[in-house]
Amino acid sequence: MGMINNLRRGFAVTLRVMRRTVFGDGLLTTEYPKESRQKPERFHGRHVLNRHPDGIEKCIGCELCAGACPARCIYVRGADNPIDEPVSPGERYGFVYDINMLRCIFCGLCVEACPTEAITMTHLFEMSVTNRDDAIYTKNELLVNPEGIPNHMFTPEQDPMVNLDELKDADGWMRATAPSGRAAYEGIPGWSASAGIGLRPPERGQAGAEVEEDDDD
Amino acid sequence: MSLWPAETQEMAKKLIGRYPDPKSAVMPLLYLAMRQDGYLTEAGMREVASWTGHTPAQVQSVATFYGMFKTERLGDYLVSVCTSISCMLLGGDEVLDAVEDETGVPHGETDAEGLFSVEHVECLGACGGAPAMQVNYELVEGSTPDQARSLCRWLREERPEAVNTDAMQEQFGGRRSFDWAITEDNSAVGPYPAFGPYGTLRRGDT
Amino acid sequence: MADLVKITVDGRQIEVPHGELVIRAAQDHGVYIPRFCWHPRMREVGMCRMCLVEIETPRGTILTTACTTTAAEGMVVHTASDTAKKAQEGILEFLLINHPLDCPVCDKGGECPLQDQTMAFGPGESRFVEEKRHYEKPIPISDLVFLDRERCILCARCTRFADEIAGDPLIEFKDRGNHTSVETFPDLPFSSYFSGNTVQICPVGALTASAYRFKARPWDLLVVESSCSHCTVGCRISVESSQNHVLRFNGVDNGATNQGWLSDKCRFGFEFIGSEQRLRTPLVKVEGEFREASWAEALDVVADRLGAIIEEQGGDAVGGIGGARSTNEDAYAFGKFMRTVVGSNHLDARLDDGLDARFLAAVSPRAKIADLDRAATILVWAPDLKEESGSLYLRVRHAVQERGAKLVVVHPRRTGLDDRATHKLTYRPGEGPALLGELAGGAGDYAKVLETLSLGPVVAVVGRTGLTEQPQLAEEVAAFALSLPDAKVLPFARRSNVFGALDMGVAPTLLPGRAAAGDSEATGHLEAVWGPIPTQAGRDTMGILQGLVDGDLKALVLLGADPVRDVPAAGIARRGMESAEFVVAIDLFLTDSSELADVVFPAEAFGEKEGTITNLEGRVQKVNRVVTGPGQSQADWTILDDISRRLGKPLGFASAEAISKEIADVAPPYGGISWELLEWDAKEGAVVPYGEAGQPVAYRPDGVDREALAAMSRNPESGAFALHLARTLYDDGVLMRNSLSLHALAPGGAVHLHPADAARLGVSEGSLVEVETVDASVRLPAVIDPSLATGVVYVPFNQPGIPSLGSDLSVVVAAGEEVSA
Repeated sequence: MGMINNLRRGFAVTLRVMRRTVFGDGLLTTEYPKESRQKPERFHGRHVLNRHPDGIEKCIGCELCAGACPARCIYVRGADNPIDEPVSPGERYGFVYDINMLRCIFCGLCVEACPTEAITMTHLFEMSVTNRDDAIYTKNELLVNPEGIPNHMFTPEQDPMVNLDELKDADGWMRATAPSGRAAYEGIPGWSASAGIGLRPPERGQAGAEVEEDDDD
Repeated sequence: MSLWPAETQEMAKKLIGRYPDPKSAVMPLLYLAMRQDGYLTEAGMREVASWTGHTPAQVQSVATFYGMFKTERLGDYLVSVCTSISCMLLGGDEVLDAVEDETGVPHGETDAEGLFSVEHVECLGACGGAPAMQVNYELVEGSTPDQARSLCRWLREERPEAVNTDAMQEQFGGRRSFDWAITEDNSAVGPYPAFGPYGTLRRGDT
Repeated sequence: MADLVKITVDGRQIEVPHGELVIRAAQDHGVYIPRFCWHPRMREVGMCRMCLVEIETPRGTILTTACTTTAAEGMVVHTASDTAKKAQEGILEFLLINHPLDCPVCDKGGECPLQDQTMAFGPGESRFVEEKRHYEKPIPISDLVFLDRERCILCARCTRFADEIAGDPLIEFKDRGNHTSVETFPDLPFSSYFSGNTVQICPVGALTASAYRFKARPWDLLVVESSCSHCTVGCRISVESSQNHVLRFNGVDNGATNQGWLSDKCRFGFEFIGSEQRLRTPLVKVEGEFREASWAEALDVVADRLGAIIEEQGGDAVGGIGGARSTNEDAYAFGKFMRTVVGSNHLDARLDDGLDARFLAAVSPRAKIADLDRAATILVWAPDLKEESGSLYLRVRHAVQERGAKLVVVHPRRTGLDDRATHKLTYRPGEGPALLGELAGGAGDYAKVLETLSLGPVVAVVGRTGLTEQPQLAEEVAAFALSLPDAKVLPFARRSNVFGALDMGVAPTLLPGRAAAGDSEATGHLEAVWGPIPTQAGRDTMGILQGLVDGDLKALVLLGADPVRDVPAAGIARRGMESAEFVVAIDLFLTDSSELADVVFPAEAFGEKEGTITNLEGRVQKVNRVVTGPGQSQADWTILDDISRRLGKPLGFASAEAISKEIADVAPPYGGISWELLEWDAKEGAVVPYGEAGQPVAYRPDGVDREALAAMSRNPESGAFALHLARTLYDDGVLMRNSLSLHALAPGGAVHLHPADAARLGVSEGSLVEVETVDASVRLPAVIDPSLATGVVYVPFNQPGIPSLGSDLSVVVAAGEEVSA
């Protein structure tokens, strides 16, 4: 008697869910890869190197990302910017930029360390490779094209899984923990414009979700 | 080897002889070099360096520290207007504006013709006669902006070979420091110019 | 020892010497006071105001700079009181007003005192929102240093260094107030031999090195401490590498040697390590062409051909040159290889530097570099120290300038120390002995000099002023110096570890541990470990090369030596090597000499191997490995060990450290010196003879013999000039040739003439002059040099593209034909 009660109590949740998923229409499984679901705003996908709206690279080769990386998977080398055709603003640019995606733990400390918002994380995560060398993403793979589109294996036309619109919401966690995430910065755009993405809307801050961005004078 | 004429070299030797270490003579020699060329040229600074045993970089350091060593060619008339506190309170800034406007030369610059250089300076030691100004280091006190304008006009039209405090003060000046101070025979304004009247003297020589 | 006074720092009572600066006293007792302008090796100036502390006085507390306040009895100092903190925060905020904060692209970022102290003592947030001061971004102030005036905080460390330490005040402040900036004079770059030090002491990234520009960030540098081997001082350096490339050297403050400073040759002379030209595989010459070979193949060739020569003609037919560029362990292996495996006494580490091996290794009493700081008088009868040994030059300069020691310089030409010399004696090369005789006699003008020299203690830096000087003169000079009160001699030779190699017995007249070859006791002691060693008299470098020319010697082993380039009589060196039946070279590069070898083995360079080196005062210091050698390169001792195995007489070395233990056993002066000791206890190095052992040979030159001196005097042939041939800091040596940023700085060939001679010959500055010696004839541009005596020409040695003039004194000089424009 007591045993049956215990069983019933123990399986109560299971049974309740079963009623919805097996017999009802509330199926939780997403039929990946036929369909993909919206990734959360704070998703940590693979990195891109951004450009300024005028197409110049944001990366200045400072190696702070490599210094911050706990997996030691980033290798950067700086060089003098050519005077006639600067690659990035200022004196220095990232001449070599490699990330070993096999070592990367997608912690995002590189994004946090970057002083120019050059490296950010996207929602792209399908990165299968057939040999280890290909897992080392070089500047070639990482740098967005002048329109701001990441250099992905497939274009959205070729592969419905690539949803580049999601990029506009990328790095939500970063924006949330940046200074602009503080109530004092509410309403001030805290993320510089990037090619293709444009200036992101001002953050709503951490003061409370119900705070609306009105009467901000 | 020296760029200087024998007379200047004599003078340099004499000046150096006054100090235990030739290096100490750097400032008098810079005046000498300035008098030679009208302003301090690179060659002049190198010359001073070779006389004193400094490196040219050290001489340049001294020369650029002091405002009265000029490293650019000046006009014939250097008009210096005091904008320190006493003069500022009594209208020094207006006098400077008037001079800039009349000569067409912003302070710190020289006109293309090489006639005027205008500068604003810190304290000419004539607070009693504020606002004070100088032409080629000859003092004029108590000028109003209008008087300053006519002074500039006079300089342009008359082009005097040499200027002198008393004459200018009489024509363009106002109240002087010692007009109202205790009269004593220690005039702050000596009869002789403290410094060579650069441009004008050169013209007089030729 | 100065009197001790009690002062209170942050509530803690400490005892410090009276007159000690508060900032230093506090630091010695664990209280760090922030600073930018104060540097422990320079005079205090109190410019940056960062070290403001609160000091209690009878009239209340005052804020004052800790770097200009000296400790006095009962002083009470607060370094972290609210007032002091507020003052420090305020100063930092002021300093940051115009600082561009471009830390991410700045080479100093990550090791920047301004960053660090802003984090530790700064206000946290800036209130400055206005536009900052702007200047043109980095301007080169010399070939090696960039200046970014925006970043400068005007601490004057660089300008003070240039003036006080280096004696080249070519940078100074310009303008005043907000416009102040550090500048050179137009067209007069900061071409000091010590300019790199300003990069290291700059507390911000205002001065950066062109060789390191954007190469790496501090956090990805792998750093080991080591000792520089560009000259014989053995300056302590940190070797810094990233991704297996050596990227820079920095000076480490070793009180006994360099005190933190380095000459630019040492600081930037690392580029050869990563050069593309380095040898990567063994090379074997087949029909006049080098072919890459495997180690086994190359070793077989050596075993066959060298073995055959030893077999047929005896070990006596083989000579060995080199070892001065190696570690002590490698040099020891070389000596043991030559003496036991080959069976030859013909070995020499000196490349005709001209000084007696026993004099260099064992002159006694021998000065330490630190003795310069106690000397009342310093005699420098040696090469121009500024050109040949920057750190030693700085030490002498410091002793004279800051401590008021008297300085007597004797040299045929102007030297870097002339402006500080109490007496400067100039002479014609060849007439040195006569000058010494007169100086010792103290007649006439020399009485005053002798009077200065009789102020003890005296330290005499004695070497060979030029390559044409009589080799025996240095010993006579040493003899004269040792007759002065409380005198010690510092023997001077330039070639990196030559003193270590001589201590390891790489000389025909020496056995390991400063023992004389042929001394029965030392030989017995050595044979107990080594087995039998040859007893016949050995030849020195010139003897070996001449022997090869004459056919007395058949084979040659080169260990990191380039006699064709480095021996003044280049002709004999080349002929000797060409007439040798078999030459094996162990080298970093294909040099002019190893080009002539039959087999070349790739060796590991500085920074790629561990070991010890011995400097000119006998100080043993550790050198360390931070990168791996390129390709298949190996350490010298491994290569020699491999060859010895093929020849059937294995040296039996297991590791460099094992060799160092054998050295300690075999060489009594090195007894007790171990790597462990050098790494843990003897941070400043251990001076040999270490401990109680003493040294078997104490070479003390006898008193001055004026007759012998007179006999030694030489004059050029009639109608000829006397040649002064001396080295310059940057030259065409193999390491410099492969350090590209320095090689470009070599002054190039020139003939320096006295103005009167120039007028007589009808030569003006820059016009071509024909010079001819027995060895060579070249045409070089003239330089008018009033510091020379008449009848003397000075030609810098070993310049790019200029053949050596040889060490003969006479040189015929004539105006060359003008090249039509």
